[in-house]
Amino acid sequence: MNRWRPRPVRDAAGEVAQFRRRVVAAGAGVVLLVLALALGYGHLQVLLHEEYATRSDENRIRLEPIIPARGLVFDRNGVLLADNAPAYRLDIVPERVRDLPALLDELGRIVALDDEDLARFEAARRGSRRFHPVTLKARLDEAEIARLAVDRHRFPGVEVVPYLTRRYPFGALTAHVVGYVGRPDADDLAALEARGERRFAALPLIGRAGIERHHEARLRGEIGRQEVETNAENRPLRVLRRHEARPGQDLHLGLDIRLQQAMVEAFQGQHGAAVAIEPSTGEILAMVSLPAFDPNLFVGGIPVAEFRRLNEDPARPLFNRNVLGGFPPGSTLKPFLALAGLEAGVITPESTVHSTGAFRLPGQAREYRDWRPGGHGRVALVESLAQSVNTYYFELAMKLGIDAIGRDLGALGFGRPTGIDLAGESAGVLPSREWKWARFRQPWFPGETVIAGIGQGYWVTTPLQLARATAALADGGRLRRPHLVRAIGDGLDAPPQALPQPAPQLVVADPAALAAVEAGLVATLHGPTGTARRMGEGATYRIAGKTGTAQRVGRQGDDRIDPARLPLHLRHQALFVGYAPVERPSIALAVVVEHGGSGTVAAAVARRIFDTWMALPPADSASTEPPPVAGTVTGVSP
Amino acid sequence: MSALLRWWAGLAWRWLDRVDFPLLAGLLAIMAASLLVQASAAGGDPRAVFAQGARFAVGVLALLVLTRIAPLHFREWTPLAYAGSLVLIGLVFLFGQGRSADLWLDLGVFYLQPGELLKLSVPMMAAWFLHQARLPPGWRSLAVCAAIIGLPVALTILQPDLGTGLLVAASGVFVVFLAGIAWWRIALFAGLGLAALPIGWQFLMPYQKDRILTFLDPESDPLGAGWNIIQSKIAIGSGGLTGKGWGEGTQAQLDFLPEHTTDFVFSVFAEEFGWLGVLLLLGLYLFVTLRALWLATQARDTYGRLLAGALALTFSVYVIVNAGMVVGFLPVVGVPMPLLSYGGTSAVSLLAGFGIVMAVGAHRRRWGG
Repeated sequence: MNRWRPRPVRDAAGEVAQFRRRVVAAGAGVVLLVLALALGYGHLQVLLHEEYATRSDENRIRLEPIIPARGLVFDRNGVLLADNAPAYRLDIVPERVRDLPALLDELGRIVALDDEDLARFEAARRGSRRFHPVTLKARLDEAEIARLAVDRHRFPGVEVVPYLTRRYPFGALTAHVVGYVGRPDADDLAALEARGERRFAALPLIGRAGIERHHEARLRGEIGRQEVETNAENRPLRVLRRHEARPGQDLHLGLDIRLQQAMVEAFQGQHGAAVAIEPSTGEILAMVSLPAFDPNLFVGGIPVAEFRRLNEDPARPLFNRNVLGGFPPGSTLKPFLALAGLEAGVITPESTVHSTGAFRLPGQAREYRDWRPGGHGRVALVESLAQSVNTYYFELAMKLGIDAIGRDLGALGFGRPTGIDLAGESAGVLPSREWKWARFRQPWFPGETVIAGIGQGYWVTTPLQLARATAALADGGRLRRPHLVRAIGDGLDAPPQALPQPAPQLVVADPAALAAVEAGLVATLHGPTGTARRMGEGATYRIAGKTGTAQRVGRQGDDRIDPARLPLHLRHQALFVGYAPVERPSIALAVVVEHGGSGTVAAAVARRIFDTWMALPPADSASTEPPPVAGTVTGVSP
Repeated sequence: MSALLRWWAGLAWRWLDRVDFPLLAGLLAIMAASLLVQASAAGGDPRAVFAQGARFAVGVLALLVLTRIAPLHFREWTPLAYAGSLVLIGLVFLFGQGRSADLWLDLGVFYLQPGELLKLSVPMMAAWFLHQARLPPGWRSLAVCAAIIGLPVALTILQPDLGTGLLVAASGVFVVFLAGIAWWRIALFAGLGLAALPIGWQFLMPYQKDRILTFLDPESDPLGAGWNIIQSKIAIGSGGLTGKGWGEGTQAQLDFLPEHTTDFVFSVFAEEFGWLGVLLLLGLYLFVTLRALWLATQARDTYGRLLAGALALTFSVYVIVNAGMVVGFLPVVGVPMPLLSYGGTSAVSLLAGFGIVMAVGAHRRRWGG
């Protein structure tokens, strides 16, 4: 019953009868229409079946994907780092093969087929329809193509398909920067389709690591399609309709391949990592992680044994130490701590600290030592950096307190990803009460602040974080996002468009503080007492820098450990951060030499890199230089 | 142990006492056919089948829950439901997203197609109004019904979603028809409608015009707009009497047939299962429609009668329009095959509609009258 209006007087029985009549009428209409449909289908399916069956069999219009060329990758001088190369693969349409085992047997006599090819083919065949082509061998060499061309009439259902594959002319040299592509698997395709990108079954390559992965969407472009009329052998006769593909965009990196090469050579076979940043832009000039691997191995699908060997190598060639690796920064943290102290006003460039060789917290027995037995005497800021005086930084850390250290060094980018255009970047660890509580459920102890002052203890930084903070030091306290790709190219006609970067943050506001720290860093290489003075000798330009050592084993009691006696994997990592030339810095650098013992080892590597950079001709004059041939890389174990 | 089991069984049985089992069986058979043909059309991808199965589970649950609600409550909630769905369709207008047409509303968790809700709320509102009016409806009642139906239909067609708009219109018009509108008035409206066709043509989107022109002469553009219909007819015709067999439909598998999991899924079915399969499936659809119509005649009040009858007839319109369009008898208007096509909101709202039909049909038997 309705609440708002009185119901009109009505003839209930009459309504029911009326409704029934209407239902019968409508029902009859539905029955008639469905019957008509059934007859219509019967007409098509029974009477006209022959005609339509023929049309279905002769349906020779094939929908083919048009694969766009993948975008190219160039270094800052236009040298090609990733290229598309024509290749041929062997496809089989299972439906058109009468005796598959016999065919594979016979093909095996013409084309080299290993068990892995056959296993992959078998797996792909099971997952697809009988009339879809399945790849048997991804890469045919020219002799195989020639033999197949001769014998093609003997192999119905076998097709040699041309396609574009990826080639990295510099091989291992760019492995950790450019990365590599691989063949997409079912999960990749599902992920793409879940994002609403359809028709990807045809996608031949997908970025798996490095720039290739991070900028996949740009490099890939958009797959097109065409309707092709074919003859009875399934060979195309003419294109009926075409929906063009959009080619991938080219990437222009800030990387200079000549510096990259010099960087690898500077390591002289040692393992480690180095990254160079242009301070005024945040562009990565060079970035290596050693040992590296040949990315070309991955393009056509890497053999399982090969991959296992790379993956299980204790030297970890697949691991990009610059963004994934982490270790305590050691003394390379000192300039940044000094900046924090100057800005907070707890020290001045003139204030001094007396180093006796050992530092004690009041009421505690534990000694925190200087590296020089007996200490450095009374030192001010410049000497504290030049001689790397631990006591100075023990006291500074206690004056600042762990909370101020966390805040000020956090502002310099420690403890968080830098935002570089590479996947999986590590955040490192910025030690703090909150971090320790979250990690260990333990309160913070004052002794931990002391060792945090010299970059030991809980600290974990990546080479990239150190290089970025050093670049900020070199560029008047402006912190930038480090990045590899600086411009995007759309075809050859248009000039590359700069990729916008976030505005730099001014993280050190006091120019006097920067100048004081810089004086200390210059004295480290060029002063009479500098820890790296031998590495500054003979330079025609001035370097500001700091050495450091990341400990793998702590000192026990009074025993001094001779680093050279330690087993290799327990030896310290040698570190160096610095920039040059001091007057107008064009490069900021972080170097890690694994098992390098003292920090001077890293400084020596850095010096070689700086020398190359300073001697390189200006960028533009090099743009006509042809790219070197693959295989010229030295000092790289695969 | 067995006592507990019996108690549970008894509880479940009482819970199901308003379910019309013949109707449910018919629906389940259609859903089974859907999973079968989806498995084939998706090319062996089990995820599509699981997703469809999950939607059916939700829909059947909605059906079972709705049978528990007395039709009186549906009547009370009707104005609210109608207003709510109008607001949603308005929101789609402002924030909707979709491929060619903006039909979808992103609810964070899932996408909703408010057009589907209108297929329930519009006949509910028309029935609610006519429930209070003198029947058969006079001019004034018809004017009100025209407004109730016209506003949401106009909004839907402007989205633009012609197929849903026509189905929503049909669901409302069926209420008026079942309410006993005089035949001469029907003839008058039909005449006016035909006269207005050239005017309506002006308001169609270019792609909608394409579809209708293509329908009139598919061979005029065999690789353009006519492609779908020609390929669909080849699929159906080549199926023959007994079909090519499950998973063997080359038309769909070779990508000749576009939209072969959604609007053209019936062609895939016809190709793989032949005329016999088509007869069986059309028979199931016919049975479901007639059974639902019979349940409508069992209703105690005008509201329930009109609503259940209209829902049953709308269901049959889906079937007839879709089966007619894929075989080239009708223009392609984007109407899915009910429960057979791949899609979420449609399956759930259809099953919910049958829940209402069952509730209405059981009402009389349970409470007498």
